[in-house]
Amino acid sequence: MDSEDDMHDANDVESLDDDFYSGETEDIPMDYYSDYDDDADDYFDDGDESDKPESRRSEQNFIILRESDIRQRQGEDISKVATVLFISPEAASILLRHYNWNVSEVHEAWFANEENVRRTVGLPEKPVVQFPNARELTCGICFETYPCSRIKSAACGHPFCISCWEGYIGTAINDGPGCLMLRCPEPSCAAAVGQDMIDQLASVEDKHKYSRYLLRSYIEDNKKTKWCPAPGCEYAVTFDAGSGNYDVSCLCSYCFCWNCTEEAHRPVDCGTVAKWILKNSAESENMNWILANSKPCPKCKRPIEKNQGCMHMTCTPPCKFEFCWLCLGAWSDHGERTGGFYACNRYEAAKQEGVYDEAERRREMAKNSLERYTHYYERWASNQLSRQKALADLHQMQTVHLEKLSDTQCQPESQLKFITDAWLQIVECRRVLKWTYAYGFYLPEHEHAKKQFFEYLQGEAESGLERLHQCAEKELQQYLNADGPSKEFNDFRTKLAGLTSVTKNYFENLVRALENGLSDVDSNGATSSKATSSKNAAGSSSKGRGGRGKGSTRTGGSNKMTDDNV
Amino acid sequence: MASSNLPRRIIKETQRLLSEPAPGISASPSEDNMRYFNVMILGPTQSPYEGGVFKLELFLPEEYPMAAPKVRFLTKIYHPNIDKLGRICLDILKDKWSPALQIRTVLLSIQALLSAPNPDDPLSENIAKHWKTSEAEAVETAKEWTRLYASGA
Ligand SMILES: [Zn+2]
Ligand SMILES: [Zn+2]
Ligand SMILES: [Zn+2]
Ligand SMILES: [Zn+2]
Ligand SMILES: [Zn+2]
Ligand SMILES: [Zn+2]
Repeated sequence: MDSEDDMHDANDVESLDDDFYSGETEDIPMDYYSDYDDDADDYFDDGDESDKPESRRSEQNFIILRESDIRQRQGEDISKVATVLFISPEAASILLRHYNWNVSEVHEAWFANEENVRRTVGLPEKPVVQFPNARELTCGICFETYPCSRIKSAACGHPFCISCWEGYIGTAINDGPGCLMLRCPEPSCAAAVGQDMIDQLASVEDKHKYSRYLLRSYIEDNKKTKWCPAPGCEYAVTFDAGSGNYDVSCLCSYCFCWNCTEEAHRPVDCGTVAKWILKNSAESENMNWILANSKPCPKCKRPIEKNQGCMHMTCTPPCKFEFCWLCLGAWSDHGERTGGFYACNRYEAAKQEGVYDEAERRREMAKNSLERYTHYYERWASNQLSRQKALADLHQMQTVHLEKLSDTQCQPESQLKFITDAWLQIVECRRVLKWTYAYGFYLPEHEHAKKQFFEYLQGEAESGLERLHQCAEKELQQYLNADGPSKEFNDFRTKLAGLTSVTKNYFENLVRALENGLSDVDSNGATSSKATSSKNAAGSSSKGRGGRGKGSTRTGGSNKMTDDNV
Repeated sequence: MASSNLPRRIIKETQRLLSEPAPGISASPSEDNMRYFNVMILGPTQSPYEGGVFKLELFLPEEYPMAAPKVRFLTKIYHPNIDKLGRICLDILKDKWSPALQIRTVLLSIQALLSAPNPDDPLSENIAKHWKTSEAEAVETAKEWTRLYASGA
C-alpha cells in the first residue's frame, strides 16, 4: 500500500463524516441518496484515477481458463519454444515440462548451455547406439529378434520391440503423472520418451490419460496458474501478481483468494484467515467448551452441561438432582437466605475472599475466552449462512422472478437490473462482513481507538446492509405478489438503488480502512469521537452498538453461553 | 507349470543363468513353478559376510519384466538395508526398476549391497543406528551372525 493511498483514505473518512454521517436521520428522504451520490462522485473526481474504488475493482489481474483455453495456451507455448530453439514440438514439450512451463526460463537455460540442458532433460542430439546396416535387431526387454520395422527407439537409439514398448508405456501411464518424465528403458540411458512415442504406442485410453496429465501439469506445475478450488469446477485461472489484490472470481461464480486458495476474504489478510480457520477446526476449542460448560453432578457425578443463563441446574433422569451451578450445593439450600433464588452468595462471598478453587478459576477463564470466540464465530457463521441464502435468492430472482415482474409491472427486464445489482451487492457485502468478524477477533483488546473505529465502521456497514437486505427481501415481495403494475414501483426502484449505492460506499470505507490496518486512527483521533456520536440509522437492526453487543436481527442469534452472573 | 506358458524372455534368462552363472551366485527355478527361483549368494570377500552362504527366494510376478521381481533373504542376516523378514531395500527393486534389467543384474546388485551396506537409507532402523554409532561393533555382530546362520548347511 502506498502512502498516497493512505492520504486519500484519511481524507475520505473525514469528508464522509462531515457531509454524510452527521446529517443522518432515521427517515432519509429519497432525494438524499442522489445528493450523496453526487457528492461522492465529485469527491472522487478530485482524486487520482487509480485511487477510485471503481477502477480498482474493475482492473482485473486474472483470466479464467476453460479446458480449450488451457490447451490453446499450452500449444502456443510449445510452438513458441519449438520455433525459437529449432526443435520438434515433442522436444519442446519435454523441455517446458522440465522448466515448469516457463518459456523464458527454457530459453535462458538453453542458450546458456544447450549441451547441459540436453543431457539433463534427456534430448540427445544424435543416437548413442546405431545399427546402420542391420535388418534385424534384438529387443532389450524380451530378447527376441525382430525385423527393424518392428523395433522402435527413443532419440538414443536403444532398440525395443513394439509390444515391449507398449507394455512399458502402458505401465508408466497407469503409474501416474510420472509418465510425463518417462525415460528410455535402458537403465544407463536418460533419453526422454516424448508424446510422439506415446501417440504411436499407447492405447486410446492411455493416450487420453497422458493428455490429461499433460494438461494438469500445465496448470499445476506453472507458478502463474491454479485450478479453481470450488468442488467440481474444471476452470483454471492465470494470475498476474503485482496489484496486491488476490481476489479471483471464477466463471462458476466461486470467489477465492489466489494467494491461499481459501474463499475470497478481502479485506482480511491470508494469515488471519488461516489462523481463523485453524481456530474453528481446532479440537482444543471443544475442550475449552467442555471445560467451561460442564461440571460433574454433585450427586451422581455424570457431566452436566450448562446451556442456559440460569444457575439452577437439574441433572438428567433418573438422578434429577437440583443443584447450584456456582457452588454445586443443593438448590434446596438456596433461596431468600442466600440472597434470592437466582444468586448464590456463597459463591460471591467465596469469590471475594479468593477461596474458590483453582478449577473454578480456570473454568471461568476458559469461559471468558470462549464467550469472546463464540461471539465472533456466531456472527461470522451467520453472515456466511445469510450469504448463501442471498446467493440462492439471487439465482431465484434471475431465473424466475424478474421475468414475472417484468410482465406484471409492464417494465422491460433491462429496467429491472437494479434488483440484480442489489442482490449482487448483498452477496458481496455478506462476504466482507463475515470476514470482518475474523478480523475483529484478532484485533488486540488494548488497541482501544482502533477497536472503536473498527466497530463503528463495521456497525455502519452492517446496519446499511440490513436495510438493503430487508428492502430487497421483504419490500420487493409485495411487487412479486402483485397482479398488475403499481404506482409505487418507481419509488421502490429509487429506494433500492439508493440503498445499494449507500451500502456499497459503507463497505468500501470499511474495506479500505481494514486494508490500511485502521491507520487513520493514529493520524486522526477525531474519527473515533465522531463514531460514537453517529446515530444508528438502521431501522431493522437497532441492537446496541459498542463492543460485543453488536449484531443484527439477521446475523445475530442468541449467545447460548451468555451467563450474566446475576 | 508348463513352460509353454512362460514368456520367451524368462526361458532365455533361465537358460543363461544356468549355463553362465555369475561368480558367487546361483539361481535355479523351482521344479513346479518356473517363476520361482531358489537363489544362493556367497558373502563377498572382505565383507562381514565373507564365508557365508545366503539363501534367497526370487519370484517373477505376472507383469514381469514390466514389474520388478520380488526377492527376499531366507537366511538371517545382520545388514542395515535388510529387515527381519529378509526384505531388501534396493532402488532397482522399486522405483528404479526398468524392464531392461534382468534377474542377473538384480542378484549382482544384491551381492554389491553386501559389500557396501548403506546405513543412510536403512530398512532396519536399529541396525542402521548401530552401524552409524559404532561400525566396528556392528561389523562384529554381522560376522557373528554370518557364522551362526550362514555357515553353509
Ligand atoms: Zn536409450
Ligand atoms: Zn521386446
Ligand atoms: Zn470455478
Ligand atoms: Zn488468502
Ligand atoms: Zn446427577
Ligand atoms: Zn450456590
